[in-house]
Amino acid sequence: MGHLTGLNRFSAAGDGLPTAAARHRATRSRRGFGNIRLTIICALITILVLRGTVGVNRIFPDAAATTAEAELHRLVQEANLLTAKIRSDDDGSDDPPDEKSESNSTYILGPKISGWDGARKTWLHRNPNFPSHVNGEARVLLVTGSPPTPCDNSIGDHYLLKSVKNKIDYYWIHGIQIVYNLAHLDAKLTGYWAKLLLIRRLMLAHPEVEWIWWIDSDAMFTDMAFEIPFQKYNHHNLVLHGYPDLLFDQKSWIALNTGSFLLRNCQWSLDLLDAWAPMGLRGRVRDEAGKILMKNLEGRPAFEADDQSALIYLLITRKDEWMDKIFVENSYYLHGYWVGLVDKYEEMAGKYHPGLGDERWPFGTHFVGCKPCNSYGDYPAEKCLRSMERAFNFADNQVLEFYGFGHRGLLSPKVKSIKNETATPLSTVEKLRRPK
Amino acid sequence: MLERCFGGRRLLKVKRLLRNGKLTLLCLALTVVVIRGYLGAGKFGTPQQDFREIRNRFSRRQAEPRRVLEEAGAGAGAAAEEKRSYGDVDIKTIWIDEDEEPERSDPNRPYTLGPKISDWDERRARWLKKNPNCPNFLRPDKPRVLLATGSSPKPCENPVGDHYLLKALKNKIDYCRLHGIEIFYNMALLDAEMAGFWAKLPLIRKLLISHPDIEFLWWMDSDAMFTDMAFEIPWERYRDSNFVMHGWDHMVYGQKNWIGLNTGSFLLRNCQWSLDILDAWAPMGPLKVREEAGKMLARELKDRPPFEADDQSAIVYLLVKEKDKWADKVYLESAYYLHGYWGILVDRFEEMMENYHPGLGDHRWPLVTHFVGCKPCGKFGDYPVERCLKQMDRAFNFADNQVLQIYGFMHKSLDNRKVKRTRNETDKPLEIKDKFGLIHPAFKAVKVSSS
Repeated sequence: MGHLTGLNRFSAAGDGLPTAAARHRATRSRRGFGNIRLTIICALITILVLRGTVGVNRIFPDAAATTAEAELHRLVQEANLLTAKIRSDDDGSDDPPDEKSESNSTYILGPKISGWDGARKTWLHRNPNFPSHVNGEARVLLVTGSPPTPCDNSIGDHYLLKSVKNKIDYYWIHGIQIVYNLAHLDAKLTGYWAKLLLIRRLMLAHPEVEWIWWIDSDAMFTDMAFEIPFQKYNHHNLVLHGYPDLLFDQKSWIALNTGSFLLRNCQWSLDLLDAWAPMGLRGRVRDEAGKILMKNLEGRPAFEADDQSALIYLLITRKDEWMDKIFVENSYYLHGYWVGLVDKYEEMAGKYHPGLGDERWPFGTHFVGCKPCNSYGDYPAEKCLRSMERAFNFADNQVLEFYGFGHRGLLSPKVKSIKNETATPLSTVEKLRRPK
Repeated sequence: MLERCFGGRRLLKVKRLLRNGKLTLLCLALTVVVIRGYLGAGKFGTPQQDFREIRNRFSRRQAEPRRVLEEAGAGAGAAAEEKRSYGDVDIKTIWIDEDEEPERSDPNRPYTLGPKISDWDERRARWLKKNPNCPNFLRPDKPRVLLATGSSPKPCENPVGDHYLLKALKNKIDYCRLHGIEIFYNMALLDAEMAGFWAKLPLIRKLLISHPDIEFLWWMDSDAMFTDMAFEIPWERYRDSNFVMHGWDHMVYGQKNWIGLNTGSFLLRNCQWSLDILDAWAPMGPLKVREEAGKMLARELKDRPPFEADDQSAIVYLLVKEKDKWADKVYLESAYYLHGYWGILVDRFEEMMENYHPGLGDHRWPLVTHFVGCKPCGKFGDYPVERCLKQMDRAFNFADNQVLQIYGFMHKSLDNRKVKRTRNETDKPLEIKDKFGLIHPAFKAVKVSSS
């Protein structure tokens, strides 16, 4: 109240009594002060909010920031911008499928080829230096791949790299050729369907190859010594991991796994691919097919048609046409679902040895659902990363051991020497690679 | 009317109350906004969440298919824990080193790559004789070659670095498959003393003595790519040599120039001589001597800037200093680009495609394009990041075209990841001509027994 008293004193300088004008002025001043108070408070709050969002501190940069820090910051910014540009460039969202054509035609992978067995036989006869079997063993081509764009996050690319290294190790030890695909060959057959066209192309271009072995990018070899028993499949053309009772009794959508399978290079396989492909046509066809699959297969969620469900549906509905040439393998882990396997590696290493390929020492560990190339998968990211690192190191140990090294734990990228160096190498008969 | 309700005096009070209340309400509203913006308000969400929700509701993007697979008989695998995106996880928190750091070797003892081996040629000859089904030559003119390359077991610091490592590896896989060369990708640091560019020395030695059937080891840096898929190394030319690098005699022996040769891509024969040169090469590599050695190399070699000793400068110095001992078995190749510096090549790819063809290996169609200085895996390189990555994409596509054409495809342009068909589909695939002789070349032919 002091200010009012002061004002009154001021205005009452003349006769001691406040005049009307003076009173009016006092009221105005009071109101003015009230408004000023309001204004100051609003201004303070605005500054606080601005500082929080825009960062007023950026206008007054810390004078102590070093040039190196600023340079680093600039470089990181540049890299981030570039990363975003690379990821958004050609992000695989190819030209949308032609609505008119898809409604009428069933998709075909290419012109119908008949007589492939005869053509291939003739070619092999004319090219005896490129036989389909070398030293009695079938020529195998391992095929895998990933999208042409960087992953949604950099850790995804790192695990793709490790996964390829893992496959290179296995194929080197076993003398198998490898093709790594990074191209979308057809905009109509994207995602998991892209493998069908790729496999067909490779078969037709390589008549000397007896078996095409498709393997997903999220699958790793964890038994470096295991040999696929190709002799077992002399009368079959498609080998994949699964359970026959789940397939025909329960009609389960996970009765088979198409993450790792063997397909013989023959007419039967070309026909199967042609029968398999139609549900994969991107757009309405794939969506509608997804609904059919959901209705007919046990446990399948609602989403667009995938190659695995489509194959299962094909085999269930046309069992007599295809099943006699298909081997549903479950005596070893041609595909090994990662959950339940990765925690047992130490126990396996303690009790068993490589070469078994089954639950004691799984041939393949397949990280279904992890999707490290995406932003997130169906499992907690940390659990997936930890498990993939363990699987990679578990497999890597089997290679490094030959050189006298091993990882310092299944979660360690570092290695240590486990054997003393010798001045007399080759004195033991160990061999890493099989002769070819 | 209000005056009648409240009375004059009360009205004044009410007005004052309202005026103060206005201020209070304003402050309250602002507080709520600020708090909601920063801390969130639980189930009431944050403005960002509101935005996302609105966007999702009105967006017509399809939901991503969920492929939750639970194997029959497996335990309940459904994730009860909170799902986190991969971007939220710091990979460093996952690593665990279970053992102690190994003891450092005695600092007073000179560094060695391993126990001295003196009879490697004899040992190897005996082994090859005992193992006739693992010959060191696939054909009389085609030695068994192992291409060795590698990168760190830890993710790159640059967020797209691993993607480019992957592409470079795919590129090497393609060349090796087409040329019947084996490939080893190393991700283990075998000796912590020899980290960085020196890590290749312990690895090469280990590979040579572990695989006596390998005749030549071909080291290639992770930032080098094959750009001529048809070019076959002229092995006959190196019949009497043990160490082949791209370079020029006059620049090395005459000028002592540190870039007179390049160790990003070289061939090393599997023999005693090679083990000896690796032993002679290694001493400048250990971390503890690198700085001093680097200063000495900067003094001794032409144009070399001062930085820690690198393997390339060290081999130049060794060859110059001990020329009589080593030079006769070293071949400095400049007839084709066993290593091709990217800076002078990448802008000419279109011109090459116009005027020349694969199989030349030289300036007209380089065998190898090596992105020296780009360092796509690290934070800092010597060149602008954008130029490096763009040109690496172009080099990759230039090479990839040569592989894709086998299958009837090519990239839409060198700057484009997408591919297009180059020929119509046919129902007679075996009649397609193999333009560059890549699928069934003579050197991949298998010897057929006459029985």
